[in-house]
Amino acid sequence: MTTLLAYSHLFAGLGLGAFTEAGARVMRIGRYRSFAFAFLNIVITFGVVQGLLVGWVIGGRLSLVSIAPVLFMVGAVVGILVEGLNGYWWRAWSWSDKPLFGIERPIDKAAFIGVVWGFAPILTVMLARMAVVRGLEF
Amino acid sequence: MGYRLSRTDKVHAALLAVCGAVLVCAYWVAFYHSNLTLPESVLHPDKPGHDPFALVYMGFESAFPLADLLVAVAASLAAFYLIGRDAKAVLFGLIGSGALGFLALIDISFNLHHGLYALLLRDTGMQLELVINVACVAGAFWSIWRFWGHPLRRADDRAHPERAL
Repeated sequence: MTTLLAYSHLFAGLGLGAFTEAGARVMRIGRYRSFAFAFLNIVITFGVVQGLLVGWVIGGRLSLVSIAPVLFMVGAVVGILVEGLNGYWWRAWSWSDKPLFGIERPIDKAAFIGVVWGFAPILTVMLARMAVVRGLEF
Repeated sequence: MGYRLSRTDKVHAALLAVCGAVLVCAYWVAFYHSNLTLPESVLHPDKPGHDPFALVYMGFESAFPLADLLVAVAASLAAFYLIGRDAKAVLFGLIGSGALGFLALIDISFNLHHGLYALLLRDTGMQLELVINVACVAGAFWSIWRFWGHPLRRADDRAHPERAL
């Protein structure tokens, strides 16, 4: 069961990443320098970091209601770090000129999306538990 | 982007990211996954499972993660904007530092009212608590003082002289 849950968190993270990146592409929020960066973002940031390490290792065995603030906290801190690394050094993706919920400056978009990353581990844990054991305490 | 980061700015950004965000996250991961952060009187109460103080302490501590979320996110954003030499660093820095100072003072108040500092000599959990309390208060007020006089905030003052009476 433990191994199955760990895998389910990884795959839930990957699924969430693929869905989010596809949505961002449709909405033309930004653009990746190459497809490889989008793939790496889905696999490493969504799947391994937010899904497996944050979602499973920190929140996998605890009640979601009690651990949710910690999951959001860690997810958002990691998200802001990733957005900062990309904005200041990597340049793997860039923002389009289109306003994002009224936000116009690229630095503010990166900060906003960094905070939104906080939902990733929470959603991952929810999806993983729904996929494996419907009876687990939420 | 005309402002150039000083060495103190870089140290400040690192402190915000590491102490204000990463260590806050690490504390709560340790709280939920180990006994490292708990005082001896809570870990080994006189009546396990029925000790009223242990229940009060755990209830009090469990209320903090949501509030600390604000601290960790605001501190991360302050570091993010400070590295980008953006004036919003001051805004998020003051929010995060203010929230950190407020929460630290509530924690200190609880510890004083319940005589927890009296356990310092024989309780490693309380020794860690004291270090965290002192570091949070000192760090929060130093950060507020620094952001208050920061050139990025002064630049905004200079850009809007019409506000002066």
